[in-house]
Amino acid sequence: MSGGVYGGDEVGALVFDLGHYSLRAGYAGEEAPKSEIPATVGVLEEATTAAQIGTPMEVDSAAGNKDAAAPKRKYYIDTNALHVPKKDVEAVSYMKDGMIDDWDLFENVLNYAYSQCIKSDSELHPVLMSEAPWNHRGRREKLTELMFEKYNVPAFFLVKNAVLAAFANGRSTALVLDSGATHTSAVPVHDGYVLTQGIVKSPLGGDFLTAQCRQFFAQNDIEVIPPYMIGGKEAVKDYEKAKWTRRPNLPEVTKSWHDYMVNEVVQDFQQSILQCVDEYSEETISQMPSVPYEFPNGYHQDFGSERFKIPECLFDPSNIKGVGSTMLGMGNVAHNAVSMCDADLRPNLYGNVVVTGGNTLLQGVPERLNRDLSRKTPPNMRLKLISAQGSSERRFGAWIGGSILGSLGSFQQMWISKQEYEEGGRSQVDRKCP
Amino acid sequence: MSDVLDILEVDRGGAASSEINREKIIGPQRVAKRPGAPRGSRRPEGINRELYALLYSDNKEHPPLFPTEDVNKGYKQTKAKLGMRRVRPWRWTPFTNPARSDSAVLHHWRRVADEDKEYAFAKFNKKVDVVSFTDQEYQRHLQADGWSKAETEHLFDLCRRFDLRFIVMQDRWDRAKYADRSVEDLKGRYYSICSTLNKLRAEPGLPQTKEFVYDAAHERRRKQQLKRLFSRSPKQIEEEQHLLAELRKIEARKRERERKTQDLQKLINSADTEHRRLHKTPGTVKKKVVHVGNKPPRDRLDSASSGAGDAGGSIKFPDLRGSGVSLRSQRMKLPASIGQKKAKAIEQLVQELGIEMSPMPTEEISSQFNELRNDMLLLYELKMGLSSCEFELQTLKHQYEALAPGKTLDIPSSIAPSGLDINRPKTISQVLDIHSSQGTPTRKRKAALEQSKVLHKIKART
Repeated sequence: MSGGVYGGDEVGALVFDLGHYSLRAGYAGEEAPKSEIPATVGVLEEATTAAQIGTPMEVDSAAGNKDAAAPKRKYYIDTNALHVPKKDVEAVSYMKDGMIDDWDLFENVLNYAYSQCIKSDSELHPVLMSEAPWNHRGRREKLTELMFEKYNVPAFFLVKNAVLAAFANGRSTALVLDSGATHTSAVPVHDGYVLTQGIVKSPLGGDFLTAQCRQFFAQNDIEVIPPYMIGGKEAVKDYEKAKWTRRPNLPEVTKSWHDYMVNEVVQDFQQSILQCVDEYSEETISQMPSVPYEFPNGYHQDFGSERFKIPECLFDPSNIKGVGSTMLGMGNVAHNAVSMCDADLRPNLYGNVVVTGGNTLLQGVPERLNRDLSRKTPPNMRLKLISAQGSSERRFGAWIGGSILGSLGSFQQMWISKQEYEEGGRSQVDRKCP
Repeated sequence: MSDVLDILEVDRGGAASSEINREKIIGPQRVAKRPGAPRGSRRPEGINRELYALLYSDNKEHPPLFPTEDVNKGYKQTKAKLGMRRVRPWRWTPFTNPARSDSAVLHHWRRVADEDKEYAFAKFNKKVDVVSFTDQEYQRHLQADGWSKAETEHLFDLCRRFDLRFIVMQDRWDRAKYADRSVEDLKGRYYSICSTLNKLRAEPGLPQTKEFVYDAAHERRRKQQLKRLFSRSPKQIEEEQHLLAELRKIEARKRERERKTQDLQKLINSADTEHRRLHKTPGTVKKKVVHVGNKPPRDRLDSASSGAGDAGGSIKFPDLRGSGVSLRSQRMKLPASIGQKKAKAIEQLVQELGIEMSPMPTEEISSQFNELRNDMLLLYELKMGLSSCEFELQTLKHQYEALAPGKTLDIPSSIAPSGLDINRPKTISQVLDIHSSQGTPTRKRKAALEQSKVLHKIKART
């Protein structure tokens, strides 16, 4: 037992944290994941271009896939492979609504992770995986089966990512407010167990912001050209039309792949320009300083009140065009989740609001959230927002929690071992991983 | 290796042999210390130890002119001292965890020396004991309205799975099969079964084990109130704050009023005594003439009588009619305004009478005790007044004798000190008599009267 002081015991476990934006993989006990693989994969239907089968130059996982099915599809996994423009390659995500949807694709990504990132055999490492708190029983069992049957792992465990995020912030009881790519969710966690009845979700996440930004660009005639299209560009003045040349002999890319590339540019815009204000009003945002932003094609302009207007819809969905007030802002999501819990638990949840997820890295989000929530908190309760300072701690909250849990000495008794799986079958996961 | 043994220079025998020390690595030091060499010359008489240490260090060298960096001393971090112990190797070893129900083998790093030990974290595996029941027991004793056996079993299964975390259990309750239950329902059912089984299984000889009493109705009420408390609207909260502020204001006003009445009472009292005194000592002019002592007699009189007058107003015991609950014994507390001397005197008197300092504060006792102490204070003050008067009388007498040598002043027997012997034991009833007849001219007044008569006489003679 190394580091007995901390109650840690390394068993060489691997931690996988699944998200809509990326899959985080690494060894338990480390402070950050070894690698982050985008959840979007380039897929090429080989049936149409049969001639390309078996080109060993591509970074892909066709080798691992040989026995599973005839390699009709070709996958381009990880940032490097994905970013090369190729004809007919569709950008596809294997995740849907926080859960694994395309198992074939996921398997390939996992193969890739084992061979290129972990670079070790799956039989040697117990695996701890995160899942969405609303994951279905069928999917959990399928995942368990996949890990034991295909990857032959010695032990497996499945934990809800909200619990892990709470652990990463040193809490076993907390309200985990996770704002990720596709949605914002508030999940009450009590003593390390998710209270499934109190989960509140809203589809206002990073992707939603991206869509809002794109809508804004479309309205203002700003064309977003992803870098892969640009061959050269010249410096221009503010608001002047961009002078850029198209890269020669670009293959004919699919729309989904192009959208993915455009979204990456918009995400960069989001991260560097958008900001939340504490007290939103037309007047205050008009007085805020504007910030310049230059697009990949050389076009640049100053952004003023839009900087605040766009992210405001995360908190107050009433001013989103078209959607109306059916969705919940971040503050309401948290508040509703708490009010669905037992009255005895509420003070504890308000006192431990863990803010995690990449979307919360938007400037000013924790402050704004604090203000919104403090208005809703009953006066005799203490509100405390816990948000990790570093960006990697915030983005990889669930992974770090998994890393901590997986390397705890007292956790080692909780794994579903291979033996148990063989005796009890796939339904073990429901008994052992609450 | 600087441990206690080394400090005490105890040979550690076998333990030391396994260690590598400097000699083993570098070889024995070439120059052994000269045996018997004196470690520095003796410090001459009369020189300060510190000073001597500055001049001569152990190695008999002069201290350096410049401060040199000493490797081992000073505030600099010392270099890492590598352990001289033989390394204890670690090995990637398989282990089984006794806390697991299966014998799954995982691998971890472990010291070779610890190889055979049990897994260190197994001891943290704590389980809650959840009672179980047999079919027979259930049929006979545990049936309850609204609970089927299957549902009860589901409850107990959840209890075991979630270690009696009822909130989680309620969350994971199988709503598809059974009706939705509240946390209180689950707790109520669980604890009632526990206590029934407890009673059933208790052996007559042994003392009862832990008994759980769970009042579900009370809990439900509590939670309802809690919910109501949490769901107050900002307006209601504001109203409550407003009401609280009002209450505080009212209380402050009440206190103010009380204080004013007290002041007024005091004023009336003092005016009353003043009035009385003025009546009894009309000759203020005469007094001025007698102004011979170092203190104007009027002051003395004041000090003598005003105390008594105050005593007529008595000790102001704390009045606890304010809002809230209070202890009755608080009413018997002597107020701090009395002063230590008087408090001490009262204490002494109470002790003399053989009464407890703080008797059982029933309504009757507390009021009577207070009254008693009031009287004691009065007695005390009267005595003080008397003795000061007597003293004055004596001084006047002496002065008179000094001024008119040969003559003696015969003091009328009515005011002779013998007549007012304080040392003569007095019954309390006598004293009480003084107090009770406070309204009519009392002995106190008589004393004042007589004193003025004396002064009169003295004046007439001179």
